[in-house]
Formats: sequence, C-alpha cells, structure tokens
Amino acid sequence: MPQVDRVAHTGRLPAESDGENPAGDNADWGAPELLAMLDAAGAGIWGLDLRGRCAFINAAACRMLGYAREECIGRDMHEKVHGRCANGSVSPREECPVLRVLQTGTGIRVDGHVVWRNDGTPLPVDLFVQPIAVNGLLKGLAVCLFDITKQRQAEADLERSNKELEQFTYVASHDLQEPLRMVSSYTQLLARRYQGQLDDAANEFIAYAVDGANRMQRLIADLLAYSRLGTRAKGFAPADCTAVLDQALASLKGAIEESGAAVTHDPLPTVTADNSQLLQLFQNLIDNAIKFRVEERPRIHVSAEQKGSEWVLSFRDNGIGIDPQYAERIFVIFQRLHTREEYPGTGIGLAICKKIVDRRGGRIWVESQPGMGSTFYFTIPMGGDGYEQRGVRQAS
Amino acid sequence: MSNVASGRPVEILLVEDNPGDVGLTREALSDSKLLNHMSVVGDGVEAMAFLRREGKYANASRPDLVLLDLNLPKKDGREVLAEIKADEQLRRIPVVVLTTSSAEQDILKIYDLHANCYITKPVDLDQFTAVVRAIEDFWFAIVKLPPG
Repeated sequence: MPQVDRVAHTGRLPAESDGENPAGDNADWGAPELLAMLDAAGAGIWGLDLRGRCAFINAAACRMLGYAREECIGRDMHEKVHGRCANGSVSPREECPVLRVLQTGTGIRVDGHVVWRNDGTPLPVDLFVQPIAVNGLLKGLAVCLFDITKQRQAEADLERSNKELEQFTYVASHDLQEPLRMVSSYTQLLARRYQGQLDDAANEFIAYAVDGANRMQRLIADLLAYSRLGTRAKGFAPADCTAVLDQALASLKGAIEESGAAVTHDPLPTVTADNSQLLQLFQNLIDNAIKFRVEERPRIHVSAEQKGSEWVLSFRDNGIGIDPQYAERIFVIFQRLHTREEYPGTGIGLAICKKIVDRRGGRIWVESQPGMGSTFYFTIPMGGDGYEQRGVRQAS
Repeated sequence: MSNVASGRPVEILLVEDNPGDVGLTREALSDSKLLNHMSVVGDGVEAMAFLRREGKYANASRPDLVLLDLNLPKKDGREVLAEIKADEQLRRIPVVVLTTSSAEQDILKIYDLHANCYITKPVDLDQFTAVVRAIEDFWFAIVKLPPG
C-alpha cells in the first residue's frame, strides 16, 4: 500500500521561468532531504551498521517485509528476514552473502534470492548490496531489494504454458497421424484394387486425396520438429562456425552438386551456441539460398563481423530475392510466398531459424530486393550471455 | 524360412484396435510368398489372454511373432510388452512394435522394455506394405528364432 502523506504543497507546477540551477547547489538539501528521498524510493532499502544491525529502513522495505520501522531499527536484520534459506533450512550467518560484503568491502548482486516476511511467508527478491564508506572508512552497507513476485509468477505461467504446448504438439503429431494414414492408405488401396476400372477423373481425385494426406503429414512432421527445438535443446557451448559450415555443406552435398552452387566464406568465429541447432540454422539458410535460385549458378557467401558485444553473421546469395514488404512474414511458421508448384516446402525453414536465433538471444532479419539476391543476417551475443545465464530454464 | 517347421504356416499375433490398420496388415500379408496365419486381438487384455491361452483362447497357437500397437484400450502396448518380457514362457517371442508414434520418448521407453524392434507405420500404402513384408522376411527368413 503506497503511503501518500498529505504535505504542505505549492499548489502550482514548476514553470520554466523558475530558471535552472546548473551548479546543483541546493544549499538547503541536506541529510533530511536525502533520507526522505530514500524513503520515497520504490525499491526496498535498508542500511546495516558494521555489526549487521539496521541503521535505516525505508517505507518500501517495511511494506514489503510487513514490519514497522521501529521493529527493525537497531535489530539484527539477518536474523529477522534472512535467517532461513529458500527451502526453509537455517542459513548460517557465516554464509550470508549480505553480511559478507562487510568482510570483503565489495558490492554484490544476488538474483532470485528469498527473504522472509513478518508473517512467515517467503518473498522472492533480487538483492543489491553495496558497502557504505565515508572518507574511505567502512561504515556499513546498503541493501536494496526488488520484489520479483510478479516476474516469478510470469515465469511459472510461461513454463506451464510451454508444457501444455509441448503436450499439445505431442498429441497432435501422434494422434493426427492415425486418421491421416487411414485416408491415404485406403485411397491408395482403392486405386490399386480397382485399377483399370476407374476413369481418369477418378484417378485424378485419388491422386489429390493422397497428395493432401501426404502434405498434411509433412506439416505435422514439421510442426513436431519446430516444437522439438524447445524440448530437445542442449546447453550453449563454444561452436566453431567454420566447422559447423563444413558440416552443413556436407549434409547438403546433394543439393550443392545438383545446383552447382559455390559456397565461399570469410574467416568465421567461434561462438557460444547449441551446436546442433547452429548447424540446422546454417543448413536451412544455405538450403534456401540454393532452393530460391535464379537461372545462373547459385553463389553463397558467409561472413561474420563483430559489432559491440555480438557477432553478426550473414549469408548472402544471388537468388531471386524477396520483396521487402515480406521481410518479416517469411519468418512466420508455414508462411510461404510461392505456390508449391513453384517451390516445394511447407514454410517451416525460416521459422525454425528464427526460433533457434531467438533461443540464443539474437535477432534474425533479411535485406533483399527482388532479383537482387538476399542477405540473411543473424546475431549471436558474445560469451555465454544467452538465456541460460539470465536464469531461464531450458527443458531437456 | 528355415525357422518354421515345413508345412506349418507362421503364426502372427496382431494386437491392434484400429480395424483400418488390421485391414492394411492383412492386405500386406495376403499376397505374401510365405504361408502365414494371422490372429487379431483388439486390446491389451485380450492379447495377454491369447498369449497365455486363457478362456476362449485355450486352443490358441503360440505365435511366432507379435505385432504390437502401442495405444490400445484397457491395457496399452507398453504394459503388454512389459508383461510379455517379464514372463518366462513368453519372453522369447519376438515383439515388433508397429505404431503411429515417432515420439522419441515412446521409442526409448519401448526399447527399455526389451522390444525386439520399433517401427513407425508409414503413411504411404506402398511403404506400409513394404514394411510388413520386410518384417516377415526378416523374422521368418533371416533371423534364427529360438526353437519352440
């Protein structure tokens, strides 16, 4: 409950004509004003003296913990709010990361920590602890905490919804296949059994029915592959892009030889990624470049550039290109820009690419003009700073 | 074909609840060069009764091969498989799991239960026929089965 106290007020908005004060020398702003500011902060803040006793606590912290200010000042805060671990077991003083800051003098951040409210319920928080030194002398420490209950709730909701989705895709991939097989098989059986007795129209109808069933099966298989990107994901580890490219080229040997494609590359880095998913990403991009080719021999060039704290990889081709108005749409599952007669496929390839890049915490996009070839770009954050480090759990 | 005593048709037990699939399997086996006799049961409970020659199956012949679907009424294919492989009288009968599922968790679970092999039913009729023939060829012409 936000406590908004009625105070004497000016009754007007500050006007421009009030002028500026670039020196910042608000001579009348001293300790009381600064304390009031700390008290007004939305995050919970308290200060501990060198013995770990509460020297200051702001209104937000009192509200979050369910204590009155008087119940905290002068008290041992470790005992009060921090004496138990998340599982309820006793958390010894010696191992307390907050108190250790008094020992080390180095500030820390603890994400996903638990403190305990007055009513005995746990409060999930992110904690920032900084030593307070005045004139080089350690006076105590400042603890700043953010309530992450809502974030936790959202994560739990997300996890549940992901589980449901996985279950759904399993059921869909499994239970939808059976009736499909019946349609396809019995239509074919019909054609086989009554061979020579059916006219051309009947045979054509049968061919459409079988084709439809086969297509449906491919869609289901693709949907399953897409959902497995999440469920079968492995962790991130160093992956040599040159080796991954070689592997991709080896597995696309048939298509490359058939089309006479020439694939060249600049020096490529070692990145941190899920190796098998990176391979799939490379494969899909090269496969597309070959598939959507013009008459002339496909030329594909792979390069990499470091920009800030990420790698930008690009796959440039001399293919048919893409109208920029469809640049986003092509990454949506089962979206296609051509008829099946022009180019086969269900429209899963780039959706899979996008999901792989998203999972890695990167971005993927295309720059292209019709008839001018396309360049697909994607980014990979450097180091292991993907989802995993930010604590999003990976299903195994 | 050296596995099966001459003159006796090979005995196949098909455990399958979908009449459509029963029809397709029958179709595939019908013009087989191998003399075969296929019995069909529609759920897991019936399958175990057949194998143990209980009740109306007292005179059932012991199958040379079991073709087992996974999703069955009453007792599913996984339970049937586990019971067969836990039974000293039955565990030597080769069990071929022939199912719609291509889910990894199903495949692993089934091999953990000592299935002799796991096959995903193809959508295409010709491929389905080829698979059934291949099963027959492999188990009755190539493999040396335990003397029974």
